[in-house]
Amino acid sequence: MTAGRISPTGVYERLLRGHDLVVITQPATDDIVLDCCRQLSDVVMPAVPDDTIKVVVAMLEAVLRNVAVRAGHEVAWMVEEIASNEIYAQDVLAAIPDAADVSSALASLAAAPRASLHLVDMVATYRCATDALASAVAAATSARRSDLVELGIALLDTRAEREHEVRAGWTPIGR
Amino acid sequence: MPTQPPPDIATGLARFLAANEVGRRATVTSCQPIPGGYSRTTHVAEMRWDDGSDERLILRSDPPPGSGSFDSDRDDEWALLQSLREVESLSIVAPRGYDGTGEHFGTKCIVMEHYDGVALQHTFAEGDDLTRPREIFLQLAAAIHQTPLDSLPATLARPASWEVYMDEITALFARLDRSFSAASPVLRYAAAWLIEHRPAPVALSLVHGDFQPSNILVSEHRPPVVIDWEFARIADPREDLGYHLMYPVPPSLYTTDTAAFLARYRELMGFSEAQVNEEIVEYFLLLGTVRLLEQMLVGVEDVVQGRGGGVMKTFTINPISLFYQLYLDICRPRAR
Repeated sequence: MTAGRISPTGVYERLLRGHDLVVITQPATDDIVLDCCRQLSDVVMPAVPDDTIKVVVAMLEAVLRNVAVRAGHEVAWMVEEIASNEIYAQDVLAAIPDAADVSSALASLAAAPRASLHLVDMVATYRCATDALASAVAAATSARRSDLVELGIALLDTRAEREHEVRAGWTPIGR
Repeated sequence: MPTQPPPDIATGLARFLAANEVGRRATVTSCQPIPGGYSRTTHVAEMRWDDGSDERLILRSDPPPGSGSFDSDRDDEWALLQSLREVESLSIVAPRGYDGTGEHFGTKCIVMEHYDGVALQHTFAEGDDLTRPREIFLQLAAAIHQTPLDSLPATLARPASWEVYMDEITALFARLDRSFSAASPVLRYAAAWLIEHRPAPVALSLVHGDFQPSNILVSEHRPPVVIDWEFARIADPREDLGYHLMYPVPPSLYTTDTAAFLARYRELMGFSEAQVNEEIVEYFLLLGTVRLLEQMLVGVEDVVQGRGGGVMKTFTINPISLFYQLYLDICRPRAR
């Protein structure tokens, strides 16, 4: 049989070669993880007699809820924040040209693997953008540029709002 | 050569008592873990002595190596408990003995008497009159903060001065920012803000370090006691107030009537309003929680570096981000 596009054999061959790789996208990652959360809460937890293990199960469930939110949004959030942090740091450097930390952080960000959407590269780039933001806010604070400080804090607020969303109603389990 | 597996806690207790309680013997009839602790492993053990009497003991031990989320030194805690039992103004759960080598329990373990009471946290709920629990909380805070420093063990670090201490702890924020993958830009901003807003000084004192209503036990028949001294240090006493302000279990003894809380603490300590007020307690929320934040960041770094160590370390990403939110809200420019 000829290996064609609709032939199962052909699909396997391409998969093995690493070409045209397809993944099942529905249910999405966050759907899958949230279903695991429900299983933990509704099935596993009632069957656990040991109170100390119940705390561990509750923590696992909470962590999985964090993961579900992150799976749904974190790449998009990082892309947005990398761009906004960079623009802010550039503005601060333009206003305070001797801010060496900002200049250095921006250079690192420019050299980061920013074209890639693979998570490891996104995280590396996001860390550079975070350093640029931190350096820029610190420089604006030292220079007593309240206008720039406020802009920086608005970016920190955005980040905090997203971290709040990731916490997904977190409570100090076991206390 | 294969190593011996650690003994279970009940077996360890039986060995420990045989070695330390000369002239009498005990049978351990039960030994159960107490859930809820985030740092140490705690068990409650029931025993019957050979004279027929029953006794209950608390065992506070280190978790297995690599699995704990918060590090502290049992030797230091034991030395502190030994000192505090001699301080008349402060009631603690009586320490009974210490396995400082792990000879009996397979890990360092403090053995304490059992206090038949409940956590102060569990005596009140939303909507209750909190006057009495607040008074208990503040009297204990003042008793801790007025403990004579010369009664404390030499192992407890003594900063050269309040100014030196403040410089060191403020520098910790910048150090965390540079050291950990889960650090936030909020830390670098907070470090600068703390220098700009340093408050009026007070004398350094004993600070509990985890001062919350869950670490106070109350009973109708005995004075209340403070437990879990592992993070105690000599520091600015206002750190315990700031720490309590962070404590995320409602209702808060502080925020339900902040004016009454602060007025009573000032009265007990002889502090002025310039030394203790709402803004200063917020300032000390940062200083009172930053060591805990450091420990959580260390745990998350283990996860980042693939060293693992249990779900607790990943779970602490949540309070870490909560701390950042609190820090940002406090350091935010505003009309004062």
